[in-house]
Amino acid sequence: MSVSNMLENWKNFRHMHPVDDAPHAEYKWAMSIDLDACTGCNACTVACYAENNLPVVGKDKFNAGQQMHWMRIERYWDEDKRDFPDQGAQFLPMMCQHCEAAPCETVCPAGATNHTADGLNSQVYNRCIGSRYCSANCPFKVRYFNWYDYPTTDNVWPAEMTEQLNPDVTVRGKGVMEKCTFCVQRLERAKNNARTEGRLVKDGEVQTACQQACPTNAISFGNLVEPESKVAKQWAHQQVELAREGQAKDEQEGGSKLRGYRIFEELRAYPSVMYLERVRESAI
Amino acid sequence: MSQHHILALFNNFDEAEQAIAELRSSTIKGFNFDDLTMKSPIEHPEVEGVLGQRSANVQWFTLFGALTGGILGFSLIAGAQGNFFSQVKGGKPIIPLPPDFVLTYEMFILGGVYITVLGFLVCAGLPAKRSSLYSAKVSEDQIGLLVKVDQSAVGTIKAIFTKHQALEIQEEAGK
Amino acid sequence: MEKDIREDIAWAKINGDVLKSLETPRPLYWVILLVALAMFGVGLGCEIYQYNIGMGVANLNNPHVWGLYIATFIFWIGMSHSGTLLSAILHLMHADWRKPIYRFAEAMTTFSLMTAGLFVMVHLGRLWQFYYAVPYPNERWTWPNFQSPLLWDAMAIFTYLSSSVIFLYVGMIPDLAIARDNIHSGWRKKLYTLLALGWEGTDRQWRNFRVTYLTVACFLIPLAVSVHSIVASDFAMSQQPGWHVTSFPPYFVAGALYSGCAAIITLFIILRYVFKFEEYMTMPILRKVVRLTFAIAMVWTYLNLIEYASVWYSHDEAAKAVLIQKATGPYAPFWWMMNFCGSVVPLLMMVKRFQTNIPMMFAVSLLLNLGMWLERWMIVSPTFSHGYYPWTWDHFQWPSLVQWGMVFGSFGWFTLLFMVFCKVFPSVSMYEVKEMVYHRSLALKNNELAEKGAH
Repeated sequence: MSVSNMLENWKNFRHMHPVDDAPHAEYKWAMSIDLDACTGCNACTVACYAENNLPVVGKDKFNAGQQMHWMRIERYWDEDKRDFPDQGAQFLPMMCQHCEAAPCETVCPAGATNHTADGLNSQVYNRCIGSRYCSANCPFKVRYFNWYDYPTTDNVWPAEMTEQLNPDVTVRGKGVMEKCTFCVQRLERAKNNARTEGRLVKDGEVQTACQQACPTNAISFGNLVEPESKVAKQWAHQQVELAREGQAKDEQEGGSKLRGYRIFEELRAYPSVMYLERVRESAI
Repeated sequence: MSQHHILALFNNFDEAEQAIAELRSSTIKGFNFDDLTMKSPIEHPEVEGVLGQRSANVQWFTLFGALTGGILGFSLIAGAQGNFFSQVKGGKPIIPLPPDFVLTYEMFILGGVYITVLGFLVCAGLPAKRSSLYSAKVSEDQIGLLVKVDQSAVGTIKAIFTKHQALEIQEEAGK
Repeated sequence: MEKDIREDIAWAKINGDVLKSLETPRPLYWVILLVALAMFGVGLGCEIYQYNIGMGVANLNNPHVWGLYIATFIFWIGMSHSGTLLSAILHLMHADWRKPIYRFAEAMTTFSLMTAGLFVMVHLGRLWQFYYAVPYPNERWTWPNFQSPLLWDAMAIFTYLSSSVIFLYVGMIPDLAIARDNIHSGWRKKLYTLLALGWEGTDRQWRNFRVTYLTVACFLIPLAVSVHSIVASDFAMSQQPGWHVTSFPPYFVAGALYSGCAAIITLFIILRYVFKFEEYMTMPILRKVVRLTFAIAMVWTYLNLIEYASVWYSHDEAAKAVLIQKATGPYAPFWWMMNFCGSVVPLLMMVKRFQTNIPMMFAVSLLLNLGMWLERWMIVSPTFSHGYYPWTWDHFQWPSLVQWGMVFGSFGWFTLLFMVFCKVFPSVSMYEVKEMVYHRSLALKNNELAEKGAH
């Protein structure tokens, strides 16, 4: 049974994804974030806390580094000692990059994190045994571990706020890893609705919580497989391809005017999030 | 005809060796040389010179165990991956060969070691009840020679043992 | 030259001396046992607390998810390797001086692996679900992820532990028969009778015993090398700067043999005193072990420097930054101490006078192991506090007392198992010491004969 299955499908089992694999069939969820539009207001982070039932760990645990913000706004300052730096703080919203070849997936001993058919990096909470190898091997450090049993911890969700907890999202217990899901509960609902009506999810039909909350529309989200979607157009315009590391513009002398890039592209994790930012002199 | 067991204890290996040599060269009616067993506190590989080559077949168990372990290991792992993981992980193939090689290697060794030890127990006839003619001296510093002979040859054998300064001779009528 | 062992030692005395160790050790034995038990209690308490409250009490945090548990895990795995070095590699090389000391070294292998296994467990966030990582057919129709180096680890450790236990046991059968023949009462009699399997030392048994012992030794050597290479793969297979180093497997294996040899010196000195083994664990043997340790120390130093050099000249900026941070950042005191203990302290072993100086060697061996423990910590932690991602930089996380308590407790657990073993089973191989004495006196006689012939 298993051996014959193995021999029959040997070719399929030996494919490398995404470089010599077939592209995603119906959906490939992807994002682009315009850093020039980002004001660092943290609305996305707050929306994420609300949407995904993230525990509010409190000051002490936050200081101890045990915070659970799936989406974080990082601040970077110019430290070049010039009198007039180009700008003050620069902001970078960071969440799970849903890599096509995610370093976290290979190292999980229990197989709790996988690449899904619509291009997400999934985390199976029930399967997680908490070895934390995924976080150790994540170049972006976007995975958050449940250091305590947060749902039963005092003041994680104050009594008056329990009404706002999202019933579509499970709460995670002690000792499992969690991270941004691209609001998979919204994606599933949209896909189910579309399937009922016998069509695919339309562009703009589904929004992630962070995208919805962003006052400057810095975040766009959609299906990369559909060439007419906003995200696909942005990616194409910025010449960022999913299955390629190192875009051509990096190599040109002087660079191009294109702003799109992915973080740590040279590590060949093939992230699904493109950032848009003009590379400034001070950043070089 | 009734069989007798005789155990003779010798002070050192040289005397025992001479006794074995004499038993081998002389033809005694009612005594088969293969019925001679030497018991020693340490291993004497040089005894093969007088005792003759007797078989040790552990290595065939080893070969079988190692190969089975390796093959079983690979097919179990690759089969499990092929059946359970329809989902890609980290851009690697569903049946990735380098990790499977590592695990196959471990299973190869695991199978080898386990079956070798099983082979040892089978070939050495362990665990076994101790024969009643056993002396604790053998596990200390003396060499024991145990023979199974017909009653007719008991006298001759005993004479040979005594000639080679056997310290003690025990006898028991067997079935 | 001094002799490794006296050739005229009576075989009955060997039996007597070793069997006496099973009955009447010095009072210090009981002190050690009691202290070990108390230490283990501390570790157990910490684990119970952590199990109930959550991993947070270990004071790990989100980018810095691994800490002393993993470092100490590598330390104990490493310590296990020299048992195999003594019992398998030196066996194949016919170095007969290993014979009086290899049994306890092998026991050390077994028990340090058991200790290492505990650290995998206490490290898990959901210890109660650990069986999700065990490959067995189950009703959930799921399998673990065979790509994960952690799973290779589990497999390698299982193989190594069970093979070492088997090797230790098979090698002990003739000695168990001796114990069976000489101890005539109590539970010990039953235990030895059962475990000796009816061994009588017949030529057939010895013949198969030799082949088996040799075969298992041949399996154990590549196995031991693979085990620590796989532990190194936990790091080398990852993408992180400071871990993604090609030379990690040999570096880890050298480090493993190094810390193991140092531990052998420590235990040699303790056992020699506690069980009155002065006759068998002699100064010339200590000298040989010290020399071996020194050689391995230099191999480790070389590989360590290779690692620094290859990072420094590689133009991998992230890895280089980790190295610079190790030498200058918050971990600097420990990093320098590791280099000092690992590469400078062993130079003392070059001095011939010191090689058999027991207090000196005891202190040195402890310092070497301190250095090797720090090395493991310095591999694990700095990468977390200065990895690829700038957000994680300067996240210095001092391990909490819970982590330290468990590290402390693990030494108690190891000592407890080891000391109980030495009291229940012969920790000096009687039949092999006899072999050693026999072959040496035979060689001596032959030499005398040859000399007589020459005159």
